[in-house]
Amino acid sequence: MSRQTHTDNKSRIPKNSLLFEKIVPALLILMGVVTLGLMVFAAGVLLGFVHF
Amino acid sequence: MSINQILPFISTAIMLGFTVYVFQRYVVRRNLAFLYWGIGLAMFGAGSFAEAYLALAWNKWVFLVWYLFGAALNAAWLGHGTLNLLVKKSWVHVVTLVLVVGSLFATYLMLQAMPKLDTAVFTTDKPISEQYGTKALDDGEAAPAGAQTITTTYRGEEVTAVRGLLPLGTTVRLTTPFFNIYGLFTLVGGAIWSAYLFWRKRIMPNRVIANILIAAGALAIGFASTLTRLGYGQYLYFGELLSAVLMFIGFRYAARPQPDEAVTQETIPASAD
Repeated sequence: MSRQTHTDNKSRIPKNSLLFEKIVPALLILMGVVTLGLMVFAAGVLLGFVHF
Repeated sequence: MSINQILPFISTAIMLGFTVYVFQRYVVRRNLAFLYWGIGLAMFGAGSFAEAYLALAWNKWVFLVWYLFGAALNAAWLGHGTLNLLVKKSWVHVVTLVLVVGSLFATYLMLQAMPKLDTAVFTTDKPISEQYGTKALDDGEAAPAGAQTITTTYRGEEVTAVRGLLPLGTTVRLTTPFFNIYGLFTLVGGAIWSAYLFWRKRIMPNRVIANILIAAGALAIGFASTLTRLGYGQYLYFGELLSAVLMFIGFRYAARPQPDEAVTQETIPASAD
């Protein structure tokens, strides 16, 4: 008797999950905006526009 | 000892364990990303320890470690590890060279600044991040309560400044924003981008969460540092601890084997033999 094994080693994000459908995208957008804001702020300090 | 003196030592212990874990992964996997992360984490840990030490006593070489590794270089090296996963290796090698040369140059500038330190201004009453830099006051700007001021000539003008350990115009301070912007862009931006890619492909939920934790950890220390510069230094040590914990959990979570790996086995009927 022969046996064939197929392994899918990439687990999937669950469907209809509040965490992955709502919270994760919101967090990604929020952190992206905050990061951009911090980078603009740091660049302002570097260029002398912001006295810090 | 107060809680604010104990927290940095806890952060240091976490970062030490974290550093050993990441270097062990490098030895096993031979992935340069782990080497760069390990270097960045070792710098983070050294900076955290130096900060804890300087909350108790003064030592100029500990201050060098704090400024160079804790304030200037660690975010860039951490972010460089993330960059290694996201762009072509040929690009990474070029940026690695720039980063190494930049780090050595910053070290040289820091060594040059050491004889000029205004050590008389040091106090254990404030976090080192609140007293390392001399800050020129704008016209009409009042010095914070209790601050020591000095009137000096800076760029051809007579200015009043709040005294700090590093004098006005210390060149090494000009290098710090470059390292930190690069670190912020690659570490936080890279983690957000990685999380987004996994999320968009609907795969590896552990990597999505792990990258969000790493990005949040890096942002936590960024916020705490900014608050400190704005005069709210009491949040710095908690921010460092939170950062260390979130990033450690994020790294461990990313490396965790998936418990729900889908393994399907098909039994093929015996052949007619």
